[in-house]
Amino acid sequence: MKKNAQFLIENLPGKDLPGNVKISVRYRNLVNFAKCFNITDPKYIGSEEEGIIACHAYANAYTIKGLYTLAPGAKLIQEGEERMLVKNPRMMLHAGNKYNWEGCVDVKPGDKLTVTAKWGNVWLVESNMMLFAEVITTVKNQNNETVCNVVVTAGIRKGGY
Amino acid sequence: MVKLSDIKVGQVFKIEFEGITRDLLKQYAKSSGDTNPIHTNDAVAEAAGLKGVIAHGLFSLGFITKLFEDLLEHEKYGNLIELDVEMRGMVRCGDLLITEATVEKIEGKRVHFDVKQTTITNSDIKDRNGNVIKQFEAGERGYISEKDIERGLVKTKEIPEGILTYRERIATPGQAIIEIFE
Repeated sequence: MKKNAQFLIENLPGKDLPGNVKISVRYRNLVNFAKCFNITDPKYIGSEEEGIIACHAYANAYTIKGLYTLAPGAKLIQEGEERMLVKNPRMMLHAGNKYNWEGCVDVKPGDKLTVTAKWGNVWLVESNMMLFAEVITTVKNQNNETVCNVVVTAGIRKGGY
Repeated sequence: MVKLSDIKVGQVFKIEFEGITRDLLKQYAKSSGDTNPIHTNDAVAEAAGLKGVIAHGLFSLGFITKLFEDLLEHEKYGNLIELDVEMRGMVRCGDLLITEATVEKIEGKRVHFDVKQTTITNSDIKDRNGNVIKQFEAGERGYISEKDIERGLVKTKEIPEGILTYRERIATPGQAIIEIFE
């Protein structure tokens, strides 16, 4: 197990996660999302004609799609054999998120978002053999404008890597 | 209107939410796309050893961003620049979720906060003889563990109906940065 962890610690940082995730942003979805948090401001839940933007929490939606779509499908070659990066996705958990919206544009209904990601730091907590990996995620709209930069920290329990 | 001159180090901004229900988690699952059934189906959650559905890890985070959206009056007076959170404790249906942001430092137009989300999970109410007169979901399903008791997270307090036993723990610690326009 420690050998696998060491392999991932040495080989993942800086590597792109293959592929991307596309998300079509719909008016109704943004409104329903905002209402989960008792948001009442028309800026986030107003009429479609007047126009709305996504509340900040909507970053959760594209983050989770990015993490759970891109990470489990990633493959690597270890000692000449292809292996899934996450051997058992049920062992993966979401440990933290760092969102940065500086210089970013708002998300609006009709936007087509593209989520891409690469691996950041990877480390092992030996006391419980939990492997942690940062997934550095960039989310852009159809105009190639960044809507959010997110660093997701995923934990993979013993047996999952 | 929030002005930079009104904000002081140590000042606390706080919101509380008491409406976490299975219906709300289903609504969140649908609109976020996180459809893992451990958040919406008790049988699946029980099979995974969770004793019942848990809120999505990122669900409670939405109340942190709401706190700043409310403070900045929906970005009229400033922007939320950064939010960095750690998902530490599970949030359950029936929990009271308390979101607090404490001003840690002010640098130019930027205000740095320590953020903390605490859950209050009610277990039961007992009469003065120790008889349970009301049990909450956490008590019925056994959400509160021996470990919670060992850690001193389980407390009691007198309320009009009797003695309330509840757990108080930090679910989401973190930091945030906002920038004020003035």
